[in-house]
Amino acid sequence: MVNNVDLSIDFCGVQFKNPFLLSSSPVSNSAEMVARSFDAGWSGVVFKTLNSDRLPIVHPSPRMHCVDYGSKKEMAVQNVEMISDRPLKHNLTEFLYLKKNYPDHPIIASIMGFFTDEWVYLAKAAEDNGADMLELNFSCPHMCIEGAGHKVGQAFQLLEGFTAAVKEVVSIPVIAKMTPNITDMNEPAMYAKKGGADAISAINTVRGISSVGLDDFVPTPNVFGKGAISGTSGPAVRPIGLNFIASMAQNDQLNLPLSGIGGIETWIDALEYMLLGASTIQVTSGIMHYGYRIVDDMIEGLSDYMIERGVGQISDLVGKALPNLHETEAFDLERQGIAQYDMDKCIGCGQCYIVCQDAAGQAIEWDAESRRPNLIEDKCLSCMLCKFVCPVPDLISHKEMPKEWKRQETAVMDSSLEKDIKYEPFTKEGPNECVI
Amino acid sequence: MSHLDKFKEMRKGLDLVQAIAEADRCLLCHDAPCSQGCPADTKPAEFIRKLRFKNITGAIRTIKENNILGGACGVLCPTSRLCEEKCSAMFKSQNRPAGADRSIQIGEIQRFLVEHSWERGVKIFEKPEPRSEKIAVVGSGPGGLSCAAELAKEGYQVTIFEARPEPGGVLRYGVVSYRFDMNFLEHELEDVKALGIKFQCNSPIEGKNAAEKLLQDGFDAVFLAPGLWDAATIKPDGKDIQGLFSSVDYLSALRDGHFEKMEKNIKGKAVAVIGGGSVAMDCIESAVRLGAKDVYLIYRRSYSQMPAEPDERIEALEAGVHFVLLNQPLDYVTAKKNRLKGLKLVRTRLGALDASGRRRPEEITGSEWTLDADVVIEAIGNKAPDESPEWYPKVDVDGNKLIKTDPETGRTSVPGLFAGGDIVRGPALVVQAVQDGKVAARAIKEYLKQ
Repeated sequence: MVNNVDLSIDFCGVQFKNPFLLSSSPVSNSAEMVARSFDAGWSGVVFKTLNSDRLPIVHPSPRMHCVDYGSKKEMAVQNVEMISDRPLKHNLTEFLYLKKNYPDHPIIASIMGFFTDEWVYLAKAAEDNGADMLELNFSCPHMCIEGAGHKVGQAFQLLEGFTAAVKEVVSIPVIAKMTPNITDMNEPAMYAKKGGADAISAINTVRGISSVGLDDFVPTPNVFGKGAISGTSGPAVRPIGLNFIASMAQNDQLNLPLSGIGGIETWIDALEYMLLGASTIQVTSGIMHYGYRIVDDMIEGLSDYMIERGVGQISDLVGKALPNLHETEAFDLERQGIAQYDMDKCIGCGQCYIVCQDAAGQAIEWDAESRRPNLIEDKCLSCMLCKFVCPVPDLISHKEMPKEWKRQETAVMDSSLEKDIKYEPFTKEGPNECVI
Repeated sequence: MSHLDKFKEMRKGLDLVQAIAEADRCLLCHDAPCSQGCPADTKPAEFIRKLRFKNITGAIRTIKENNILGGACGVLCPTSRLCEEKCSAMFKSQNRPAGADRSIQIGEIQRFLVEHSWERGVKIFEKPEPRSEKIAVVGSGPGGLSCAAELAKEGYQVTIFEARPEPGGVLRYGVVSYRFDMNFLEHELEDVKALGIKFQCNSPIEGKNAAEKLLQDGFDAVFLAPGLWDAATIKPDGKDIQGLFSSVDYLSALRDGHFEKMEKNIKGKAVAVIGGGSVAMDCIESAVRLGAKDVYLIYRRSYSQMPAEPDERIEALEAGVHFVLLNQPLDYVTAKKNRLKGLKLVRTRLGALDASGRRRPEEITGSEWTLDADVVIEAIGNKAPDESPEWYPKVDVDGNKLIKTDPETGRTSVPGLFAGGDIVRGPALVVQAVQDGKVAARAIKEYLKQ
């Protein structure tokens, strides 16, 4: 049945047999690794960022740390790893091996330089040795040298200039990889486009600190007594990645193919990136946690989803959610609802009561005798916090209330004090946008 | 690990990662039904929440402050019918939330936290300001230790009188090592001893008026928790039968240095254990482990009426014990030199309900038979020594010579004399004795204020 759907996708004129790629990182460090990933089902690779051998690359030790959530491991990964520490000759030889043995698996060469000649040199070398595309790494958040990595991603003229220089010397498509450590990614993306970029990939890691040693006061990873602000990745950053992909996908002026990156582990994660406008997705942290094998479930899961919905082409799903993505001001605030409880399913833990008391509308009474919550509908804020903590699936859902229904206002503790307040109503007219 | 080590050491408990994972499954119920299910008010909901939020020392503090024998209770409590029975995570509904279809292993978490406190050297109690009041505690089992600790924490001068050579009572002499080992007991006793309690072992409070005399010997209050150490028997004049043991003698022999001798008694022999409670289960399982050829459990009612916990029963069956149910022991058959040869039984059938609400076993006339057995262990309950009321003649006792107390305070009919544990309740749980000790300590403090 799985054969009935077509997962293949065109990305800047390059054909991928599915949208799932390795991103440029430790998971794509060598041909031996990449070959195994191709055997596992990954359709292509963004090879670990090449260096020109001009400066020695030495990775700090240890180079990673992680953030757990309860007993759940690796909610986020923290890394201070540099670009490839392998000689350029070795990396290029690896390209030849992969092209020879996996001719239908595109290789995207990630490159990073410090000045135009270096970018150009690396771009040429990659193209000359079989790279199908380039990804310009404007976004590594912890390269030790000023003027490299995400610093370039924040200096838009540099970004445009390097892109243009590369575009001038190669004929293969060029992707610009963006840093999320800015407010609006559309701005640098437009500079990349002006420089001639054919696509945008995002996000690189988010600047963060995974933890701080409580005995030695050193942030982690603890590199012999020193910590640094470095790159955070993994499931925790997925909402950030989705934000940037969606906002670029909505930008008609940009109008470039997007490669989504950030916290993808399952076919659902991947599909969400695609529904918001990515046509390929890239994975590192998920592989760091579970290995290449997860692509098997991404392929099968996405295929079954498409079969169930009668979607023949994966490309038909790209951007499908964008028409439903608005500014919050577009919401219809006339329509209101409340939480609704299927009490037959309740097991009586009372977590809903606790969160409603302490973080919501105090809309739940607790019946100690029966160990059951009782919702006072008129006080329900419909925040749905109760649903999030409820251990029983589908016990709590959102239901719309009739137009004439009104929510109770939050009660004032002691309205007799009202006579003492210092207060004038605000009456000035003004624009509904921020001006000084 | 040798066969002997296996017998003498408990299985490992949870480690930190496993304990946190288990705490992670907790639903953190608003009304904490697990805490309501603890007879000693150990507050499992609180220590699990503390563990969950990485407040590990706080979690240990919760246990130790509420239950000085939290480790022993974590290991020995029949949690499946106490705290864990109330756990919402095992709510038996069709809508079992994923990962919440079995109770949190509260006993295991409790044990972990206490062991972790030893590993990390966490000391919960500060040395209190010494007070002048002196309290005597009779018996160093769970009830006595609990009462003594509760008072010593606040600076009262406590002396524990223990009849046996070492403290611990049932924890030392009444359980098998693979369930609760000496190393664990010594650690837990260290925590109690650190409170500055004076232990006087080999000091039975026996003889006419001995208990009441303590009040005249300078003690301001006395807590009686000697436990029940006399064994019930089907043959009161059978003391000299070679191969017949009470569960008390059998289990304490395995603990107090007579292990090798007892092992020789059991190894390769046909062993029958009479009784259907948890103690009987300990006896049969240990007999299997000691290499008995055949182990029989003799019980006069049926399987589902056995007072032993369901998991204990199943473990015994799995271990290869032959359950001889619906059979009433009548007498022993002996050979030369009064050597035990067999056990005379009569088959029973279940009749009408008796006072305990269970169907009464009725003997089937003419169905007598003899089971060949080299060793019989009677595990049919412990009782107070016949002469014990003389040790405290003014204290009211009931028909079974159990001390009568006010359950709210542990007060006996004699002012200044308090009592708890098995000598009040009859055979009961460790955790219930702990609670009796706490309750009495509170009442003693009140009493001393007057």
